[in-house]
Amino acid sequence: MSKNRVSRRQFLNYTLMGVGGFMAAGMMMPMVRFAVDPVLKAGAEGDFIATKVKVADITNEPQRVDFNFDQKDAWYESEVTGTAWVYKNENGEIIALSPVCKHLGCTVDWNADKKNPNMFFCPCHYGLYEKDGTNVPGTPPLAPLDVYPHQEKDGILYLGKAQPRGGA
Amino acid sequence: MRWIPDDIAMFNKSSEYVDTAVVPLLPVAFGEGMKESAAMTDFASILTSQLERQLQGRILLIPGHTYLKSKPEEAVSQLEKWEAELLDRQFKHVFYVTCDYDWKQREGELKGTVLWLPSLPLEQMNEASKVSVMEDQVRQLMNLFIQKWREEE
Repeated sequence: MSKNRVSRRQFLNYTLMGVGGFMAAGMMMPMVRFAVDPVLKAGAEGDFIATKVKVADITNEPQRVDFNFDQKDAWYESEVTGTAWVYKNENGEIIALSPVCKHLGCTVDWNADKKNPNMFFCPCHYGLYEKDGTNVPGTPPLAPLDVYPHQEKDGILYLGKAQPRGGA
Repeated sequence: MRWIPDDIAMFNKSSEYVDTAVVPLLPVAFGEGMKESAAMTDFASILTSQLERQLQGRILLIPGHTYLKSKPEEAVSQLEKWEAELLDRQFKHVFYVTCDYDWKQREGELKGTVLWLPSLPLEQMNEASKVSVMEDQVRQLMNLFIQKWREEE
């Protein structure tokens, strides 16, 4: 016989506490998960979309990067192709610019106009942007090109939603 | 800009910048040429909608002009009325985009420019080549537009 005998009352107490504890935990866990979930989500990937471009392949010359994502718009659900102009600036930072002209939404092209080399050029109304996306005064656009936030994961470039930079 | 309320609102605000109307010409035939006309209609529709994405600030994409392939005379006379209306408004340029070669022969009767491109068999291509073929075609078409605009200046 051991010194600490477990009485019937104690045994029942322990078992009930154990089972009750599991039951309470079973109820609380999903609730806590729900409460914490939004917090976890904000820190995670968010809406970043993978491109096919490796970060190591990005040069100083802007290159066109296409990426696909699903867009749901009322009754149309379609795969949309987004485009970005991506390059590294003098400090080695990656810059990803939206190709949508801030004037009326045409698609700008890099180095497309012979008279204005090394600039983003809009063929519709001859809008011009510097390499860093700043609009050239005197041409129709009134704001710099939008910028995509970017992330690097496993060497692949991920792009978020393009953000406006305000007038210049 | 497309023929949707949002874009038309933008058009009304900045109409001095939009001087070009694009009218896709979409043939409809029954019987023998049915499939061919469907291919032409499909190709021209996709082409113009992609083109609109590139040049949306300067062009207004008019809803496609459908016509009976068997009644070419009627198609031309109706299009002439559309053209007169468009030129009467602010549009300086009217471009017709079509895969139906008959329009190229009738270009002389119209004031606008007929841009003809052969319809390619998209249904036989996989997704990736479809996109790249379309991109090439759109780029060619875009250059024609830009060239025409430059001539004017």
